[in-house]
Amino acid sequence: MNRWFAVARGTEVPRRHVGHYLLLGQELAVWRSDSGAINAWENRCPHRGVRLTLGSCEGEELRCRYHAWRFASVSGQCTLIPAHPGQKPASTVRVRVFAAVEHDGFIWVNLAQGESPTAPTRVAHVLDSTRSIFVDAPLYAVRETLLDGYPVDSTASRLAVWSKDAYCLSAGNPDHAALVTFLLQPVTDFQTVIHGALHTTVEETARLARLRRHNAAMGTVRDEAERRAAAATGGGATA
Amino acid sequence: MSIPNPGRIEPVLWDDWHPVAELAALRHGRRLDTGLLGRPLTVTLRADGAIDACSGPHALPHLDTRYGFVWACLGAPVRDIVKFAAADEPDRIPVTGGSMAVAASGLRAVENFLDLGHLGYVHQGYLGEEPHTDIKPYTVGPREGGGIRATGCRVYQPRPSPADTSGYEVDYIYEVHRPYIVVLYKANPVDRTRMDLIALLLQPVSEESCVAHSFMSYPPHDVNEKSVRGFQQLIFGQDRPILENQLPKRLPLDAKAEISVRADSSSAHYRRWLSQLGVRFGAIPQAPA
Ligand code: FES
Ligand SMILES: [Fe+2]
Repeated sequence: MNRWFAVARGTEVPRRHVGHYLLLGQELAVWRSDSGAINAWENRCPHRGVRLTLGSCEGEELRCRYHAWRFASVSGQCTLIPAHPGQKPASTVRVRVFAAVEHDGFIWVNLAQGESPTAPTRVAHVLDSTRSIFVDAPLYAVRETLLDGYPVDSTASRLAVWSKDAYCLSAGNPDHAALVTFLLQPVTDFQTVIHGALHTTVEETARLARLRRHNAAMGTVRDEAERRAAAATGGGATA
Repeated sequence: MSIPNPGRIEPVLWDDWHPVAELAALRHGRRLDTGLLGRPLTVTLRADGAIDACSGPHALPHLDTRYGFVWACLGAPVRDIVKFAAADEPDRIPVTGGSMAVAASGLRAVENFLDLGHLGYVHQGYLGEEPHTDIKPYTVGPREGGGIRATGCRVYQPRPSPADTSGYEVDYIYEVHRPYIVVLYKANPVDRTRMDLIALLLQPVSEESCVAHSFMSYPPHDVNEKSVRGFQQLIFGQDRPILENQLPKRLPLDAKAEISVRADSSSAHYRRWLSQLGVRFGAIPQAPA
């Protein structure tokens, strides 16, 4: 599937940290090299299958925790096998890597292999972001719930949501600039994370109150999406 | 009366003996709930000292003790419980190293036990150390009596045993006796003409979980049981997070599933041997050619 998904805010992936993320059931090791390159790798060492999130970032390389094989940023090519330090690792010794970029404050990943993916959808200038929330519902249920309206702000109690593409929805008054964009991350086929990007600024004193309103609204969306998903699977209402 | 085998687990495992409890861990009148080859298992130490075990409503007909552990066979035993000849030497001191539950296939644990390349990293400062990380060629072949044997393994060790705090190169011999039973012999730090024996006895609870029991047997030099146990648990405690983070949890037997290098020769032999034996429980069998 040649599609980009936001998996994290850029600030969640500081240098020298290897983060664990899930996209469409694919476990990812996401890390930033010292030179700034964003890597999203299959979370599995090609040697003996150990999760690379146990490993450590060594500048431009990631070092596996089990036998300390080293893999180069961007290519995933193995550069050193300490058991045989004099031998150059074969070009076939590499981690499976996915396309990853940082745009508008988010880390975007594309799981498509073998084709060069086009750039991700650009989001309007992001000035702030909400807390990302986890929803126990498939992406389509979250998307439909959002398309039915996003309840935020007293001045416009139900803002319309219009679709830019299936996984990136903006909300606001259609005659004004977008106020918020939702980036939907399908964690698995039945779990979704909603990332919220805000496009306007407010006084620092009003900022927390605004974030609280968004958190509450996103919570409403979560509850409704989970209710719909449960109804769709015949599971009935869950507590 | 035999235990039902609805999963049709291969006879090479079903009709063999497996460790199911450390004797020292049993308490009079208390049940120990565990599992074996996907079946539930309850072990009880009676007030009169007798041990019995059942799997659901079925009493286990084949139960025995050896090396400080209770062993069980769910099927019809075709051979005796594993025996390590060296442990029979009369002056040796046997020590059990306890039992640890691991959320991974026991076959992965055997492979980890055989693995030389991780000693300098996972057990850094104890069983290996940088820059002594290169693995020199060693020999692997069939073991007389079945299984595989790796000899000529030379590893630099900063602290090879609790009795020894100075580093030197240690000789290792590994033997895999059964799919879930592996033993290591290494020169005793005091009397280098004799070998310490360290056996890892895996109890295959499910395909993706096991209990690792360990048994050691030492020449009679300055063996402090408590520190030996503590050392063994420290070392295995370093391996456990690795084992629990290997994907997939079952051991892939296809040579192309994971990349191997020369240092992995014992692992490659072990996987091939498991394939030849037809072991499937805890493994991902090779795709038919
Ligand atoms: S499993 Fe990663 S280096 Fe061996
Ligand atoms: Fe180990």
